[in-house]
Amino acid sequence: MLTSACGGAGASSPYFGKTDPPDGQQLRYISGAEPESLDPQIGSGQPELRLFMALYEGLTEYDPRTSVEIPALAERWEVTDANTTFVFHLRRGARWSDGSPITAGDFVFTVRRGLAPALASRMAYMSYDILYAQAFNEGAAFVRDAATGEFLVDETPLRRRLIVPGRAEDRAAQLDARLRQRIDGAPLVPVRAEDIGVEALDDHTIRIRTMRPVPFLPRLLSHQFFRLVPRQAIERYGDDWTRLGHIVTSGAFRLETRRPYDRVVVVRNPVYWDAAAVRLERITFYPMEDLTTMMNLYKAGEVDAVYNHVVPVSWLDQIGGLRDYMNGPEALAEFYWFNVEQGPTRDVRVRKAFSLAIDRTALAQFKRTVLPLKGIVPEGVFPSYPHPQGVVFDPARARALLAEAGYRDARGEFDASTFPVDDVELTYNTSETVRQTAEFVQSQWKRHLGLTVPIRNMEFRTLLSVRARREYRAIARGGWVGDYLDPFSFLNLFSTTGGENGSGWFDPRFVDMLVQANRETDAQRRYERLARAEAYLLDAQPILPLYTTSTDWMKKPYVTGMYDNPLMAHPWKFVAIEHDPARWNAPTHPGSEHVRH
Amino acid sequence: MRRFILRRLFVTLPMVLAVVSITWGLIRLAPGNFYTGEKPLPPAIERNIREKYGLDRPWYVQYGRMLGSVVQGDFGVSLRYAGTSVNSILSSAVPVSAALGGLAYLLALLVGIPAGTFAAVRQNAAPDHLSMAIAMIGLSVPSFVLGPTLVLWLALTWFVLPPARWEGFGAHLVLPTVTLSAVYVAYIARLTRAGMLEVLRSNYIRTARAKGLPERRVLLGHAMRGGLLPVLSFSGPALAMLITGTVVVERIFALPGLGNYFINANLNRDEPLIIGIVAFTSITILVLNLAVDVAYGLLDPRVRY
Repeated sequence: MLTSACGGAGASSPYFGKTDPPDGQQLRYISGAEPESLDPQIGSGQPELRLFMALYEGLTEYDPRTSVEIPALAERWEVTDANTTFVFHLRRGARWSDGSPITAGDFVFTVRRGLAPALASRMAYMSYDILYAQAFNEGAAFVRDAATGEFLVDETPLRRRLIVPGRAEDRAAQLDARLRQRIDGAPLVPVRAEDIGVEALDDHTIRIRTMRPVPFLPRLLSHQFFRLVPRQAIERYGDDWTRLGHIVTSGAFRLETRRPYDRVVVVRNPVYWDAAAVRLERITFYPMEDLTTMMNLYKAGEVDAVYNHVVPVSWLDQIGGLRDYMNGPEALAEFYWFNVEQGPTRDVRVRKAFSLAIDRTALAQFKRTVLPLKGIVPEGVFPSYPHPQGVVFDPARARALLAEAGYRDARGEFDASTFPVDDVELTYNTSETVRQTAEFVQSQWKRHLGLTVPIRNMEFRTLLSVRARREYRAIARGGWVGDYLDPFSFLNLFSTTGGENGSGWFDPRFVDMLVQANRETDAQRRYERLARAEAYLLDAQPILPLYTTSTDWMKKPYVTGMYDNPLMAHPWKFVAIEHDPARWNAPTHPGSEHVRH
Repeated sequence: MRRFILRRLFVTLPMVLAVVSITWGLIRLAPGNFYTGEKPLPPAIERNIREKYGLDRPWYVQYGRMLGSVVQGDFGVSLRYAGTSVNSILSSAVPVSAALGGLAYLLALLVGIPAGTFAAVRQNAAPDHLSMAIAMIGLSVPSFVLGPTLVLWLALTWFVLPPARWEGFGAHLVLPTVTLSAVYVAYIARLTRAGMLEVLRSNYIRTARAKGLPERRVLLGHAMRGGLLPVLSFSGPALAMLITGTVVVERIFALPGLGNYFINANLNRDEPLIIGIVAFTSITILVLNLAVDVAYGLLDPRVRY
């Protein structure tokens, strides 16, 4: 009786807890960990991004449904020179929250500031594809020819200026003898902020040049690192500029209150260029990490939506089928690396067999908030990307491949006792969820191949270095979150033997396929080329794909314009509170027309 | 008395410095850094960060700077919450923890002392067994069980109280205060009972009764003064623990107090913030212990400094 009086929290409700909308147009949202900073070039995580999407705008913004780029401060752009030159046209009439106009020079300032070594932004690498951005951030130098005074150039087809480390000891350690000889005695010129390939052609036109073809650059520019920061406030207040009273912002909302570990409140910014389309008057972000507490607040109707990965697994039986629960794919790949440099996994047939022996559908059912992964590019995230067939579950074929690889008895059948199981080990980092997966995979191999592969955990940082040096035995845990929403973010892992590539697998033909794909100007043809490269990669099987995580979050039915999307990035200007229950599940709601400008 | 207080205050600073030094060493032993995340950083970016925060300097330089900041009472800027000074974090979080802790302790005294006294007076009778049984439950049910249970009933089934969050003094504080005070109610009730039982058997109480004083005055005027000494000595450390943040309750109820900061500061390896909180906590404990010792001298005529 009391329960039903409190807004349909009864057992038969299709929603979890109360569904009474708050008064007026205000949203109460749980945004995750306490934000590191309100400076978009310092606060590096998703919890911060959620706030920055209210306070700051970039040249582009994330689409509320698909997370691909939509116009924001830039109303349009052109791409030339095989995806290496981009010209962005700024909206006239865009203003900072203090009323001053937003100009092309502000974007140039933003990029140069973000890359300045003194700022020490953790996200600076997001812009490394921009011409000489990495060189400037690393304190590197160009080399002049002593005779002609011209800059020496590198050996890539684009003939960019040659870049060498700025410090003598780094040059001695990193450059090969031939290059050291080439630059010996030549004057070095430190890379300056002005050398970065971002220029203001006039107050409303920005040209960006890149180191290599970067067809996904407009998508990259939605990232918090590229959201415009106010030169006027930063030069006046220094590190203290984000404080209330000092802060100046570029987004649809402006800061009203900040109380650490309690709340950040933003209100509609009346001078925002699209203020007429913004419907929320106020958003309250609650930083919170305790899952039960936030689910309690949600159930009691004290908050209207929560961020992703928040529903405790033990609650899913109750909540999983409700209408306000969402669980779509994310841009994340969870997989195991195969060591292709030593041990039995040097043989591609062994790698394939270990992969064929895993039932990923069963794994997804076991983990509950994941979706099976068949390649390296997560499915359901890139709608028109033609995924290659990818890995399948076929234990019989797995045993046949192992027999073919030499692990067989007199009759030619696979014989588990001939396999050197001591040379194989599944190494993972200490974490409950990672361990559960490892044990599941171990049991699959036991059941389908008759092999008991030992599993071993180590601290995360240790695993990173063990993996980079390929000092693990055969199999190591890996995972990758897309830095930007493009399949290239995943395929690029195999562009070098170093860096993030944990397998040691490297094939110049594969790298060339990627380079050719990125020169392609037609988006769909580019996807087809990337998919062919992925198929080629999967045929060599340097990884064992496992799963993609899914979003696993909740939102009250009266919150409209907020969708399940692969980056879980919600542009708040499209969000509204719908007080009329009859329109809660309308197939098209008023928000959708604002999405395409 | 004054010499005693001065002497104690004089040793406070070296003790705090010793505590922060040990803490500083332990932080250095823990793996990882404030900037390490899921993805490894490019080496150049890591170098930029280390230069910006002086982590590339020799250890004794960093240690000296840390000690200097503690002595000056300015703990510097948080590494995790860039641009936010540790002092401003302390000044925003301490009032929350202190308010919650203070209220919880007040509640514990208001319930625990009468319950314990009552039990002592009616020793081995039904009221004694009942109140001590309840106290035993209060002691044995941890706050991470009691808190969610109260939330489940009062906030999510009957919807009479909010389930979490800080909204100043009001309905939002009821559940965390009750949850936090439960253990202390039980402890204080048991301490009061024990103290009162001992005092009630002593000679001066027999004398008071023999004088024909009414039982009320015997209890409140004479027995209480001695019987509450165990509660008093418990109060110093207990209040210090409560004021400096109560991790579990603050997390369950999402309160912006010091406990939340302390946990996350450790997870984030946020050295200035850890040092700041540890220094604040140790000063609080030392000062409250001193206050208890002083109060002891005032209450118990046998204690002389």
